[in-house]
Amino acid sequence: MSKNSKEALLYIFPAAALFLLFFYWPLLQNIYLSFFSWNMVSPTMKFVGIENFTELLASAELLKILLNTVLFVAIMLILNFVLPYLYSFVLGHLVHRWNAFYRSALFLPSTLSLAVASILFLWIYNPLAGPLSIVLGWFDMESPRWFKESYLVIFAICTIIGWKVFGYNLIIMLAAMVAVPREMIEAAKLENASNWVIFKKIILPMTSSTAIYVFTITVVFGLQYVLVPVNMLTQGGPDQGSSNLVYIIYQYAFTFFQTGKSAAYAVITMICYLAFLYVKNKYLEKKVYYEN
Amino acid sequence: MKTDFSKEFIWHVLLLAAVFLMLWPILFMISTSFKDLNQVFESTLNPLPWPPTFSNYLSVLESFPLLTYIWNTFFIAAVVTVCKAATSVLAAFAFVYYDFKYKETVFNGMLLTFFIPITVLIMPNYLMMAKLDLLDTPWGVILPCLVDGMGVFLMRQTMRSIPKPLLEAAILDGAKPHQILWKVVLPLIKPSVLAVSILFFINSWNEYFWPLLILQDKDNYTLPLALQMFISAEGGSEWGIAMAVATLTSLPPLLLYCFCQKFIINTFMQSGVKG
Repeated sequence: MSKNSKEALLYIFPAAALFLLFFYWPLLQNIYLSFFSWNMVSPTMKFVGIENFTELLASAELLKILLNTVLFVAIMLILNFVLPYLYSFVLGHLVHRWNAFYRSALFLPSTLSLAVASILFLWIYNPLAGPLSIVLGWFDMESPRWFKESYLVIFAICTIIGWKVFGYNLIIMLAAMVAVPREMIEAAKLENASNWVIFKKIILPMTSSTAIYVFTITVVFGLQYVLVPVNMLTQGGPDQGSSNLVYIIYQYAFTFFQTGKSAAYAVITMICYLAFLYVKNKYLEKKVYYEN
Repeated sequence: MKTDFSKEFIWHVLLLAAVFLMLWPILFMISTSFKDLNQVFESTLNPLPWPPTFSNYLSVLESFPLLTYIWNTFFIAAVVTVCKAATSVLAAFAFVYYDFKYKETVFNGMLLTFFIPITVLIMPNYLMMAKLDLLDTPWGVILPCLVDGMGVFLMRQTMRSIPKPLLEAAILDGAKPHQILWKVVLPLIKPSVLAVSILFFINSWNEYFWPLLILQDKDNYTLPLALQMFISAEGGSEWGIAMAVATLTSLPPLLLYCFCQKFIINTFMQSGVKG
């Protein structure tokens, strides 16, 4: 390894400059903007101190947004963390045929655009003539208006994300799954351990580092993926029923043109994210088994 | 063997159910794009419409500047891909080949950007693009997307796997760092660079949110943005055409995936492995 740090700087400069300019500078810019009242076009910005924050913290809206966010995260954790975890166990250790086929097929939706997924599911969920309404009709059920009812809309949007992300998370979990030595599982089977016991006693501890990674990206990226269907299909509606901590920043900036509130939400969201990452590093990572 | 299979049977049922749920929407999208208006509503669930019609694709070609959209999308994705790959490789080389102060901090700082939600960044970045007078141009879309935290991470992972003696031998031979990067490191990690580039390309091709803010004129739209035009009238009757555009948008990623499947899956698998 060379110790010539000036030369190292040369190689690192393009990436570092771009990261600073388009990732870290905007974070500071948000903090600055959050102390002003502005509409993005007017030439003057009015300094309002912490008014944006106090107004926002006192509003009933914040509670709704937080509740929605928790609901989004909870459903996505089931669809994109728990299910892929279990499926990767099945695919990695319980079946011995067609594995490559299953892997490729399940991964396929991950390569498609969320815009495509959104329009696809808008038609699938169409309450009047969509395929799902026909299938529900076979059982004499009437299709609800998926994107118009509060709570249902969150579920419907989560299924879009679930469809797109399930395979991706499955593949990442699978990488950890196949690293678990087969002999250990075979030995446990010889002792008549049930699959559930094998999962709990061997798989869970040995794959926990990857599981935490998938858990993290499910939460962090999940809320980000939600932006596309929410923006295309509901614009946060009905009555802010599908808005969340990440989407509301966009709403305040580009729908309501209140940069101060938007920046204040951005600051709060960033604090939530950092708190989440901190807690994850501090408490979860400690209990983890690392191979190397 | 037979008993083995009957033991596995239930798992295969579960897996096949998941495969069905994953593939059916794609199949449905493609088949609907070949249905005329009557077939869309009368044989909604029939995956093989007969006779298939190409009218949706023809009317897309007629009423939309489709080739422009394809070119716009491709141009942005290509520039983003090349630049992301370049900045990632260069930075990763510095992390592997050099020893400098605050190395870990700088690396973690780059990796952390991977977890910053995009909406936190869009307003300040939008204002910056406005100041630079890049709104409604492809460069406004491209500029903030030239680096990737994940790219730096993956490239560093790959470069670390190069045996140290190989680099030391090159140094003893008097090779300069840029020669080592170009002649020793790059040829060894070519497959990984290619795989990461494919991922960058697919992701940029699929991108919806950031271009939506920057591009306003319809002639500057990318394919995913064009899709949004079919949503304005909800419950509209243009489903065949919408699905045709959706199919066309999905074609490049699907083809790339089919041809480079192993490659892509392996890279994705790597991306979760911690270093």
